[in-house]
Amino acid sequence: MFKQLKTITGGLLALCMPVTAMLATSQTAKAADPTEVRIMWYSDGIEGDVMRDLLDRFEKQNPDIKVTLDRVPYKTVVEQLPALLDSGQGPDLARVTDLGGLSRHYLDLRPHLKNAKYFDDNFASSLPWFRPVNGAKDGVYGVMTQLTLTLPLVNATLFQQAGIPMPGPKATWDDWAKASKAVADKVKAPYPIAFDRSGHRVSSLVLDMGGKFVDGDKPALIDDGFKAATKMLVDWHNNGTMSKALWGSVGGTTYRGATEEFANAQVVFYMSGNWQFTQFAKTVAKNFEWQAVPNPCGPGNCSGMPGGAGLVPIKTTKNPQAVARVVEYFASEPVYEEFHARTLFLPAHLGIAKKGINYQTDDANVKKSLAIAVDQVAQTSPVAFRLQGYEHNRILFNATISRVNQAISGEMSLDDAYTRIQADIVEGLAAKGIKLQ
Amino acid sequence: MNPNAHPPSDSATPTAAQRFARGFELAYTGLMRALEPPFAAIQKRIGIKGMAYVFVAPNMIIFSVFVALPMILNIWYALTGSNRLMMEERPFVGLDNFSALLDCKDYLDVNSCKQDRFWRAVHNSVLFVALQVTAMVALSLVTALILNGKLRARGFFRAVFFFPVLLSPVVVALIWKWILQRDGLLNALLMAGGGERVAFLHDASWSFFWTVFVSVWAHMGFYALILLAGLQAIPADLYEAAEMDGTPKWRVFWRITVPLLLPTLLVVVILSLIRAVQAFDEIYVLTGGGPGTATQFIVQYIYETAFANQVHLLGLAAAASLLVAVVLMVLTVLQLRISYHGKTS
Amino acid sequence: MASLTLDTITKSFGQVEILHGINLDIADGEFVVFVGPSGCGKSTLLRVIAGLELATSGTIAIDSEDVTHHSAAARGLAMVFQSYALYPHMSVYDNLAFGLENMRMPKDQIDQRVQTAATLLQIDKLLQRKPGQLSGGQRQRVAIGRAITRNPRIFLFDEPLSNLDAELRVQMRIELSKLHKDLKATMIYVTHDQVEAMTMADKIVVLRDGRIEQIGQPLDLYNHPANRFVAGFIGSPRMNFISARVTHCTAANVSVTAGGMQDTTLPLDGTGVRQGDTLSLGIRPEHLELDAAGDWTLTVDVVEQLGGTSFIHGTLPSGEALSIAVNGQTGVTHGQPIRIRPKPGMVHLFSTTEGEKALPPSPHRL
Ligand SMILES: Nc1ncnc2c1ncn2[C@@H]1O[C@H](COP(=O)(O)OP(=O)(O)OP(=O)(O)O)[C@@H](O)[C@H]1O
Ligand SMILES: [Mg+2]
Repeated sequence: MFKQLKTITGGLLALCMPVTAMLATSQTAKAADPTEVRIMWYSDGIEGDVMRDLLDRFEKQNPDIKVTLDRVPYKTVVEQLPALLDSGQGPDLARVTDLGGLSRHYLDLRPHLKNAKYFDDNFASSLPWFRPVNGAKDGVYGVMTQLTLTLPLVNATLFQQAGIPMPGPKATWDDWAKASKAVADKVKAPYPIAFDRSGHRVSSLVLDMGGKFVDGDKPALIDDGFKAATKMLVDWHNNGTMSKALWGSVGGTTYRGATEEFANAQVVFYMSGNWQFTQFAKTVAKNFEWQAVPNPCGPGNCSGMPGGAGLVPIKTTKNPQAVARVVEYFASEPVYEEFHARTLFLPAHLGIAKKGINYQTDDANVKKSLAIAVDQVAQTSPVAFRLQGYEHNRILFNATISRVNQAISGEMSLDDAYTRIQADIVEGLAAKGIKLQ
Repeated sequence: MNPNAHPPSDSATPTAAQRFARGFELAYTGLMRALEPPFAAIQKRIGIKGMAYVFVAPNMIIFSVFVALPMILNIWYALTGSNRLMMEERPFVGLDNFSALLDCKDYLDVNSCKQDRFWRAVHNSVLFVALQVTAMVALSLVTALILNGKLRARGFFRAVFFFPVLLSPVVVALIWKWILQRDGLLNALLMAGGGERVAFLHDASWSFFWTVFVSVWAHMGFYALILLAGLQAIPADLYEAAEMDGTPKWRVFWRITVPLLLPTLLVVVILSLIRAVQAFDEIYVLTGGGPGTATQFIVQYIYETAFANQVHLLGLAAAASLLVAVVLMVLTVLQLRISYHGKTS
Repeated sequence: MASLTLDTITKSFGQVEILHGINLDIADGEFVVFVGPSGCGKSTLLRVIAGLELATSGTIAIDSEDVTHHSAAARGLAMVFQSYALYPHMSVYDNLAFGLENMRMPKDQIDQRVQTAATLLQIDKLLQRKPGQLSGGQRQRVAIGRAITRNPRIFLFDEPLSNLDAELRVQMRIELSKLHKDLKATMIYVTHDQVEAMTMADKIVVLRDGRIEQIGQPLDLYNHPANRFVAGFIGSPRMNFISARVTHCTAANVSVTAGGMQDTTLPLDGTGVRQGDTLSLGIRPEHLELDAAGDWTLTVDVVEQLGGTSFIHGTLPSGEALSIAVNGQTGVTHGQPIRIRPKPGMVHLFSTTEGEKALPPSPHRL
């Protein structure tokens, strides 16, 4: 009965995912000769084009493998990929950001790699992020395609116009809030501070305010740091430092960036991350001067939250050998370096990071910002890395963003929000089979 | 047609259409001939009455795969826990999901509920349904009455009111978002007129108002059309008889139009009620349920709980959807009753 | 109870003129029937009188009061519709009372009127029923009852019996006539059934294409149709028309030859015609008789035996068709040539020019 149900649900799910399913069938029909490797890939900027270009080169060198890059919106990766994986209908490789949450579906590539030591040496800091709790302690479960770091982007032109100096490298969040508000008031910009509507971005504020997030392998979110940071957000929304127009325009855990507003010079200080650089190089171009600035300080830290996207091999693949060759090609030093140089991403490859990348850009704003970002990676707090490595960090992020939002919109007090956040975490973990207390 | 210009087909090369027709005929007869022996054999076995089942079988299979099976699966999901998708990985939890949903100290105070989001959604939906259906029925009735009158360019106006119905809900929402957002058309007009900018979509009351407004705007044409058909089914001579009887206009409306339109009106009320309970797409795109949870309705709650949130609480969502299904089922039965009565009287 | 005067009433729908200047006087208490072929404007004229349509030009006066611009309600008329137009959701009682409630009449007075009308029409047992639970004839009575309760100045009927079966029609026809006598009300009645017209009317108005062709008492129209149209329309079976040639004419009489018969001389005013003119000779089937010495030879095509009467349809030597009605049964059979002749004084002559007017009787007639 269960076996049958499994096949039936699987079939149903495949029907429910028309894009992927159609791509899958149409491609397998053609590729009779070479082995096919399918990658589900989302893009923030130009990385899809760069990847395709690199893969074309790979296919020329390896005529026995054909790599299909299924380009999907980020939402598909978040909402549909988990269901596909659960039903065994996943691709061979996928570009994901919830490294821990999906880890039970990853394949350990170590047995298939020609040179596993290369991975141990160069990806030592990020390999643990992929490993499932019960997985091989030295497993190679994926490779980062991009290291990200949250940091603020500032519209320098607005500061100049307002005649207000930018706070220095060790400035506090308060300093930045006051300065941004002053600038915005002077130049009539509607958004002094904008945050991506994301628990991950909020966490970097929590981090700076002294939050610890986890205690051993258990979440311990609600502490003084967390309370101070969330109170700050509520206050900012109430005194106009942040506008309700951004976070208020959606509900639940829905992500909402402020890239358009920033590109339109409506935002003074935008808490986002380095992955926006390429986009602003295009949309802002030379309209105004902008740059990344070091993460502001709080009583706890002056650090951003690391993160990133990884390319992960999926357990259900029929061609682990071919998958391993694709990953090895991508991770190889020249290819990996070229990918990052062209996409302006931060490399997770230690050797390349140490050597430094010669980024392919003429944009002065981007150049300046990349230098800051590279420097900020080195300053990242161990607490931040620990949170990034915590398998269930998304549960914390989502509970935070949705409940803090309700407090901001006045639906509940912050204290009620804390209670609800705790309850949401308990509920989420329980669903994953983890009992707290 | 000039017969000389088009000689009979068999004497000359056939046109493309003729070749297509001939090919189609060949294929059709071929197919029918090929199908005949197996069907004849089946009929010999089960008799001519049994053949009915053979012919409805494809439909029944499609129905059971796409409707009946998912319904059963949904019940099963509602009785099981965890965030797993595959049946065999889901532990049976009995009615836990239902009791979690219904766990409230005071049903009127969402903060006293275990699943406060569910109850917020229920409260929002109840208010939304009440306001939206009232507005929908009132406005579509007024529209239908106006469109039924002697109006210049009546066809044009009928089309205008029906037009939004043809738009995809997402398009509707995007149009209104463009009008209502902070830098939208309406604020631009307000400010050009010297007014203050209004937070149409991120003030809780405003944004609730706009969800009602936009959904009424989008669907009113449909109900107005039903009511218009109902109005036109009222014989014109009844109005003439009333006119001869010297009946005042308002009395004609209350004593003749309303009672004769009542069955149609009830169908409209129930249909719009059902759709209001199901409201999701326009609102999700327009407000995303925000600000906070001010415009989060029951279907969005189900969707987010099951799919959008990082931990997919499928059991909870399935249980909630079953509760909604019960409500909708009651409404549907009511609607069938009424439309059945409407037909027989 | 009222009289009605129409003065050059026209009615157009958009560009199309439907009524072309109608003049009509109806006396108090008269039963007037409008007849005419379908689409001639009977209903339109009735609706103009009712006030459901406004006249495009001309005036309407009721009891010498100009009501041209009054609303339907203000004119105080009642109309019985062809479709009955009963309010389907109200009981028979409410249907009868509805118009009275509009007048804000006291309840007991309403009740009394409803009861009176119901008793008169024998629908007092049906008062609590809905129209959907009534037979066609019962509905018809309710519709009439609704008109009666309002005690109108004039009753208007638009083909009220056309939805009933033949038997019920005859019965209702008689009842309506009786009702007219009892109420002594002015009634205008539209029909295209000329039997109804002949039997019920004090005065018939024959309409064609929005014009009045002739107004008169039923037998006047039968005996002295003003033109060929009226002659053909009034009377059943239809009048025969055959082509005739003038052989001789004076102010005192006209001689014609038609259908191969010898000259017939009629006492009509021949000043309007000349020798050799073609006229149309009209003779009703009941005014032809079998006579071995008759002038006309008819080849029999069809014989219809109804028992009491028989109709013989045949062809004249000129190829024209002719019908005869004979009392009782006949031995004439198909294909047989028979001789017939018109009863004296029953022949009509119509001009073949515009209007097809009947030739006027001779002023010298004795
Ligand atoms: N509302 C209208 N608009 C346009 N033309 C109309 C309208 N009502 C009637 N007519 C036209 O006026 C003419 C007379 O119509 P009317 O209904 O008066 O005929 P009638 O004599 O009652 O015929 P019937 O015996 O078939 O009822 C017809 O040619 C009809 O098409
Ligand atoms: Mg008529």
